[in-house]
Amino acid sequence: MNCREAQEQILASFEGDVFPGQRDALDKHLSECATCSEFTALQSQLDLFLREQIIAPQLSASFRAAVRAKIASKSSHMLPAWLPDVAYVAGSVAGLALCAVLLPFAATTVIEMGASVAIVVYLLQTFLRTALQQSIE
Amino acid sequence: MADEDVQRLLCERRYGLAFELILQRYEKKVFYLAYSILKESANAEDVAQDVFVKLWQVLPLYDGRAAVSTWLYTISRNTALSALRAKSYRNTLPFEECDPPAVDPEPGLRRLQLKEVLPRLSQIEQEIVTLFYLQQCSVEDVAGMLDVPAGTVKSHLHRARRRLAELMRS
Repeated sequence: MNCREAQEQILASFEGDVFPGQRDALDKHLSECATCSEFTALQSQLDLFLREQIIAPQLSASFRAAVRAKIASKSSHMLPAWLPDVAYVAGSVAGLALCAVLLPFAATTVIEMGASVAIVVYLLQTFLRTALQQSIE
Repeated sequence: MADEDVQRLLCERRYGLAFELILQRYEKKVFYLAYSILKESANAEDVAQDVFVKLWQVLPLYDGRAAVSTWLYTISRNTALSALRAKSYRNTLPFEECDPPAVDPEPGLRRLQLKEVLPRLSQIEQEIVTLFYLQQCSVEDVAGMLDVPAGTVKSHLHRARRRLAELMRS
């Protein structure tokens, strides 16, 4: 085992990655290599330092209540998520109604118009969905 | 599959129940993720609240392609990074909750403060180191929160440890 491999093993050990097959080789290397022994000591000190300094903060007890209050106050100012679905259904119903009225008089025109309305409605709901996503992100 | 119950509720359009489950399950992790970026608990909590408000708004758009947690963490990280940019926290990094070390460290370490050394790492390394210790040293948890492979978390951690050790030695 060379120094590079030994140091990677030492770093991995702080993540709980212990490789039993290489433990003996690592111990042997450390007993012979002052640089890696010093590296181990320094990394152990660093690990202790980080454990002590990075302390989990506490969420306040009112966190959930605050979230619900924000939702209640903000939801009226944002685009409702159901808007694209409503636009899609409303557009489809309007298109169908128009087709039903005009079908007896101009069948070809109605087919062309039906296809056009379907495309417009699809684009409209896609646009609304994108706008909604952007308003969130 | 994780969050099966949440996904089922979303399919049934029972958004209120699904939201409550997500809130209970992920409030702490979202808060920690925001804290790892903002380094200040009050602001992290504000951001976490905003994240859940956004989640409530987009729940009906959930299409099941990604895990709910992945989706939530993406919103969390984007929101926290926007807050960081908006208020230029980068230069302050308060870490105001840190207590002095309980045990007596080596002389070389005694002079070090986390708020001094952490900014010397890249943004992603700072997040990973902070989350790793907040999450009881679970690489898998950190990888899930940042939506990166566990191997990437490990390599960032190793690089960060080497860099911090250099700073300690100097």
